[in-house]
Amino acid sequence: MKSEIGKLYIELNEEFNFYAPIKVKGNLEFKKILNPDDIVLDYYNSKVPPKEILFPKTDILFEYKTDGKNVTEIIERTDLDEKNIIFGIRPCDAHSFVILETFFAFGDVEDEIFLKKRANSLIIGIGCNTPRSTCFCTSIEGHPFMKDDMDIFLVDLGEKYLVEGISEKGKELMSRLKWLSDADRKDIKKARELYEQAEHSIETKLDLKDINKILDPHFEHPIWAEISDICIGCGTCSFLCPTCTCFDVIDEMDQYHNKGRRFRIWDTCQFCLYTLHTSGHNPRDSCIERCRNRILHKFCYYPENYNMLGCVGCGRCIQLCPVNNDLRVIIEKLNSIKTKKEEKVSA
Amino acid sequence: MHNPYIPKLTSIKDVVSENKVNDIKTLELEFQNDDDYKKFDYIPGQFAEISLIGKGECPIGIASSPTEEGTIKFTIKKMGTVTTGFHACEIGDIVGVRGPFGNGWPIEDMKGKDIVVIGGGFAFSTLRSLVVYLLDEKIRKDYKKITIIYGNRDSGEVLYQDVLEEWKKRDDIEVVLTIDREEKGWKGKVGFVAPIVKEVGPSSDNAVVVVCGPPIMIKTTIQVLEDLNFNDHQILNSLEMRMKCGIGKCGRCNIGNKYVCIDGPVFSLAELKNLPNEY
Repeated sequence: MKSEIGKLYIELNEEFNFYAPIKVKGNLEFKKILNPDDIVLDYYNSKVPPKEILFPKTDILFEYKTDGKNVTEIIERTDLDEKNIIFGIRPCDAHSFVILETFFAFGDVEDEIFLKKRANSLIIGIGCNTPRSTCFCTSIEGHPFMKDDMDIFLVDLGEKYLVEGISEKGKELMSRLKWLSDADRKDIKKARELYEQAEHSIETKLDLKDINKILDPHFEHPIWAEISDICIGCGTCSFLCPTCTCFDVIDEMDQYHNKGRRFRIWDTCQFCLYTLHTSGHNPRDSCIERCRNRILHKFCYYPENYNMLGCVGCGRCIQLCPVNNDLRVIIEKLNSIKTKKEEKVSA
Repeated sequence: MHNPYIPKLTSIKDVVSENKVNDIKTLELEFQNDDDYKKFDYIPGQFAEISLIGKGECPIGIASSPTEEGTIKFTIKKMGTVTTGFHACEIGDIVGVRGPFGNGWPIEDMKGKDIVVIGGGFAFSTLRSLVVYLLDEKIRKDYKKITIIYGNRDSGEVLYQDVLEEWKKRDDIEVVLTIDREEKGWKGKVGFVAPIVKEVGPSSDNAVVVVCGPPIMIKTTIQVLEDLNFNDHQILNSLEMRMKCGIGKCGRCNIGNKYVCIDGPVFSLAELKNLPNEY
């Protein structure tokens, strides 16, 4: 039963940090739950993606003490060993965790701050009964009911949830919840109906197959100026993207107490300062280059480097862009480069 | 846990002012922990993220050679908060070091070849590392003729005077210094780097040329090198880019799908021609 969420919280709260969606100043956000009554279960999706749990806006790298001038002690983080439950996330956001994990593990040096938190997090996700008009997860091999990237998968049947253990970790946790009752055939049939309904409600169909092959040879193309024409460079698309990972590193010093910390803070390739050299030279000094970098990073560099798209089709960048620079339209335009080229060849 | 953002601590062993206007200094650092020094296994051309607690961190090319045992050196121009902080440092102060990062000069592939080192201004730091390395008595025999062409605006800007004097005395290396304008008492060449390279005319036969300097110098020099029949694989370049993490995570140093911090900073001209023109 849905009312049993409180029971779940009470059972797991001791052992885990329990994250779930709550309303904060009118916005839905994933936060550590202090009172299970705050949990909101009836929602489309959060404005700020749950990536924030694993990769917070500001994330401490380490803390330190000084003698007034020089460092005397470096203090490592100890909270990364804590276990987390991330409850209520959508399949698109669960898939973003797979992308983030691939990114942070790539190369010779792994980002253990992210990876450790990720490894200690158990994901209880919910199928998306009512995708928004801006959603396009089915165009990137996702699905509103995709459960592969979760540990436990729930389907909202109205009065109750259908609960399915996916990973070993998830199954083990489920076996501890003795009060769960067996699903009957009616429940499974209803879940199947919701699955199909959700799939059919996504009207956006984008052709993203081999998009990197179209983009790669067209780094210099007039289309980038066209695409960036209305962009005001606010960075909303990247700050609220569940797969964006860029960050800045800042030192903060408390000279009165002789202590401080170094932390990372979300940054975006949409800001001109992001790439500005000390010499004054800037390799991406106009909006055209910055817009191009965002698109190419997700749809060209990600497939080339990690063999996956850097997008989950959540539609946040479309829904929240203040000037309606619609990613779906951008992709259609980019696809048209190929079509035009083919037309030319056949003519 | 291995937190890749925590620096290893070093103490400043020496500070050398490198130019007349005193805005470039070389810091010599000694690791506080021997084990950290042993793990800091680097080759010429790599860089490190060096930091001052409370001020911040910045990527700087390693100016010392791995053959100079015991300490590491960084040459720093006073530009912003962190580098100004470094300039205020005294012997004994503590500096954080993370690294070494990047690919470095391809010293293995360069074996058995003539090496031409072309530098301009304060970009000479990782070239100092390379030349000191090549001139080490155990290593010198692996490489053929070494030619250095090093240009500066004026004589007051010439870095590493001490090692340059030593190099000039040796007969197994040709050192050509040049400054932009005529000066009283200057014994080297006068003129921009590109025409001086043309005048020296190094042979491209079984040679590798390493170029480091301001963009305009690189551009004009490459033109001359192409006239001297150097091909794109023989011309190596070290790129600069704004960086924060040094390990390919913070995102900002990408050129296309490559990150300068992990795939570079050294690229051959052939590699650069395959990358988008965004650096």
